Amino acid sequence: MKYLICLLLVLLSACSTTPQRSSPPVTDGTRPDGQASVPERLPGRVEVPPAVPAGGAIVALLDQADGYRQTGDISNEAATIERALRIEPGNARLWHRLAAARLDQDQPQQAEQLALKSNVLAAGDTRLQADNWRLVAKARWSMDDNAGARAAEKRAGELAGRI
Amino acid sequence: MAHKKRKSKRRSSGKRRKSGRNHFPWVKILITLLVVVAGYVAFLDFQVYRQFEGNRWSLPARVYARPLELYAGLRLTPEQFAAELKALGYRSVSAARKAGEVSRNARRFQLISRPFMFWDGQESSRALRATFSGAHLIKLQDDRNGKPLALARLDPLEIGSIHTSRQEDRILLQLDDVPDILIQALIAVEDRKFYTHHGVSPRAIARAFWVNLQSGRVVQGGSTLTQQLVKNFFLSNQRSLRRKINEAIMALLLERRYTKDDILEAYLNEVYLAQDGQRAIHGFGLGSRFYFQRPPDELDIAQMALLVGMVKGPSWYDPRRHPERAVERRNLVLKVMFEQGIITRAQYQKARTEKLGLVKPAAGTSKTFPAFLDLVRRQLRRDYNESDLVTDGLRIFTTLDPQIQWSLQKSLDQRIRPLREKQPELQGAGLVSSSASGEVLALAGGRQAGYAGFNRALDAKRHVGSLIKPAVYLTALEQSDRYNLASLIDDKLLEYEQSGELWRPQNYDRIFHGQVMLYQALAHSYNVATARLGLDLGVDAVLRTLRRLSIDKPLNRYPSLFLGATDLSTLDVTTLYLNFASGGYHVPLRSIRAVLDADGVPLQRYALNIERVIDPAPAYLINRALQLVVTEGTARSLNRRFAPELGLAGKTGTTNDLRDSWYAGYDGEKLAVIWMGRDDNQPMGLTGASGALQVWSSLFAAIGAVPLQPGIPEGVVWRQVDTESGGLADNGCENTVQLPFIESGILPAAAPCARGSAGWLPKWLQ
Repeated sequence: MKYLICLLLVLLSACSTTPQRSSPPVTDGTRPDGQASVPERLPGRVEVPPAVPAGGAIVALLDQADGYRQTGDISNEAATIERALRIEPGNARLWHRLAAARLDQDQPQQAEQLALKSNVLAAGDTRLQADNWRLVAKARWSMDDNAGARAAEKRAGELAGRI
Repeated sequence: MAHKKRKSKRRSSGKRRKSGRNHFPWVKILITLLVVVAGYVAFLDFQVYRQFEGNRWSLPARVYARPLELYAGLRLTPEQFAAELKALGYRSVSAARKAGEVSRNARRFQLISRPFMFWDGQESSRALRATFSGAHLIKLQDDRNGKPLALARLDPLEIGSIHTSRQEDRILLQLDDVPDILIQALIAVEDRKFYTHHGVSPRAIARAFWVNLQSGRVVQGGSTLTQQLVKNFFLSNQRSLRRKINEAIMALLLERRYTKDDILEAYLNEVYLAQDGQRAIHGFGLGSRFYFQRPPDELDIAQMALLVGMVKGPSWYDPRRHPERAVERRNLVLKVMFEQGIITRAQYQKARTEKLGLVKPAAGTSKTFPAFLDLVRRQLRRDYNESDLVTDGLRIFTTLDPQIQWSLQKSLDQRIRPLREKQPELQGAGLVSSSASGEVLALAGGRQAGYAGFNRALDAKRHVGSLIKPAVYLTALEQSDRYNLASLIDDKLLEYEQSGELWRPQNYDRIFHGQVMLYQALAHSYNVATARLGLDLGVDAVLRTLRRLSIDKPLNRYPSLFLGATDLSTLDVTTLYLNFASGGYHVPLRSIRAVLDADGVPLQRYALNIERVIDPAPAYLINRALQLVVTEGTARSLNRRFAPELGLAGKTGTTNDLRDSWYAGYDGEKLAVIWMGRDDNQPMGLTGASGALQVWSSLFAAIGAVPLQPGIPEGVVWRQVDTESGGLADNGCENTVQLPFIESGILPAAAPCARGSAGWLPKWLQ
């Protein structure tokens, strides 16, 4: 049996070295008679934009948000963080800040959702992920989701242990 | 004054009553008459008071585009910046000194921004220096000291007002907002004795009477500014003696109650200056915007003179229809200004040679966005009464990005225009939104920009074809114990009987492709494989997925649903794809950020709300599959124009006989859904790839693409897969593709070509 399998594997790998199956004809989008399968490159191609950090603007807006927070104006604090998010929608810290503001605005459900979103974006940032799970736990406690809150605290603890 | 007179007359009539019995009936009549007159005057006085103190004007809601945020790192070309400043009415000068002025030296701009009251506070006027490189703003500085500035927000483009048909429209001004020269010119031309008379000017009336008598017709009016205000403010337009008398009495009453400045301010806001279709343009605030696209304090002398001249007859002197009359009138006003010492001789001579300087919207940068405003109106109607919208002077801050809107409209036009000879009925629609926040950035309701008509993006419900397929594939990928991106599906003859009829789906190329991987079936949009997968999952399961992804429209409940035989609008498709583009979140579409009342107090904010509807792992997988549509599938022509590292994702859609051409695609930040077709639902010869995809492509080339790089969620692993067999590959395999898998779900077996995986059984042996 073992030999048989080996033999088969050899045969199959031999098969795979035969000329490659041409890529399947394109249906939806190109005519059945087909087009060039490798698109030629146009001059003036849109490249990945150079990384020009907008950090200064984000810091300025977070300072402004802190100012609103100190005066208890949570509504404007949240609006200012949203303004920063329009500039850097992929910034996990901003989503975390917005989650915290929503918690202060007494919107635990949104706080939880935003913290979870921050976590997806925070891949690799264990500390921020732990902070997010702590925030999720708080939100869940206030929604009387005790089991969920405990689970979130556990996750936060595990992550904090890894730091 | 009127009150005083009344009292003294009463006293004297009382004396008479005692002294002369013979005159008794006359006195009685006189008293009655006086009481009636006094009562009438008191009534008019009350009217004057009530009108002047209360809501003087019903103000339509004003609608603004998003303000442009300037910061180092912003993706914006210098040309786009210049176009936006032009739309905002910034004047090109050699050195900017006043708010609303800009000077440009190639890639360097120096400008003074205008102050503006936003929902989160006042943005003050600033001297800015902005330097561009390529398609980016790379340096933002304070122009006075050269210090770097983190952020500056320009005043937003006003994109419309919400008013009833035949409504007055105005922008309220305070006296301080109006330049002295304009006021002096107005007084010099319309009412020289304004500061000394008491509301009526008997000498002016007498002079006018004399002139009119001599010429036998009404040549000259003797009305003071106060009377003109009263006439516009309180009285009907009919000419009668009674109205003239009322006008005079009310003018006197107004002057008695209020200061000259109050009256002047009201006049400046009330005066009728132009007609824009059904909309009457009132006041110097809106008049200045209407003719010159700038506030009064930014006008030059010639422009002020023109506005002052318009007071006499806005339609007779309409500078757009009768420019020569308007120039003549303006120069007459300038002459008076010079004679009265308001301007110097040099200023006079320069101003009279100026062009009229009226704004014309530049081609491609229209400032009217009826399709988007339609969406705003629909959203507002859910939360406000129509009557509040047209009277309360609300200020509505929307999400519209004029740059993206202009590019969308231009891209649609570029694709449709050359085809119109053969397809005169060809139409299109498009919607661009922000994936993270659901903000609607641009909306085209038809091929013609600025044309208010059938809003196809919202109201044209059409078969969506293959655009529906990701919902089928997501339903499968969420069952990770049954399916993964490499699962093999049979793309071979399928016959399915439903309610007595035989359903036999066909591929677009009418070829069966045999065993294909799940992602390949999506990327190449194979109908038969998709139908087979759908039948495996069940119509109900796919319907549940669509409901969860916020498609609340009635849907086809038969298996042809899997191939998109169901009607949705561009807006619905946007809602569907936002779930994917946002990484698995339902993000409600929003066209409004905030609504402020007339005093700038926030009434309502439309805050960012999200809700997770797809678990991170399957959301990641479907994103990868939609990226592969661009990498190797039906949207691969995009690779000619966009770097593969951008990781663009999307899906084409084509319906039977080429009736609809769709593309829904996204980069790291924005989702755009484009539709092309005919209103009568007849074939028009375009596939998703040859129609809508091209529009998408030129749109993103213009606005720039941001890489789509979703973070890898927990529990997802990447594996190399043999494209031939769908098995796990290693360096023994020649053609491979990288695919993500859910670790806890099923994984493919080793590919036949794999050398190092001796422990694996080939799939066909299992």
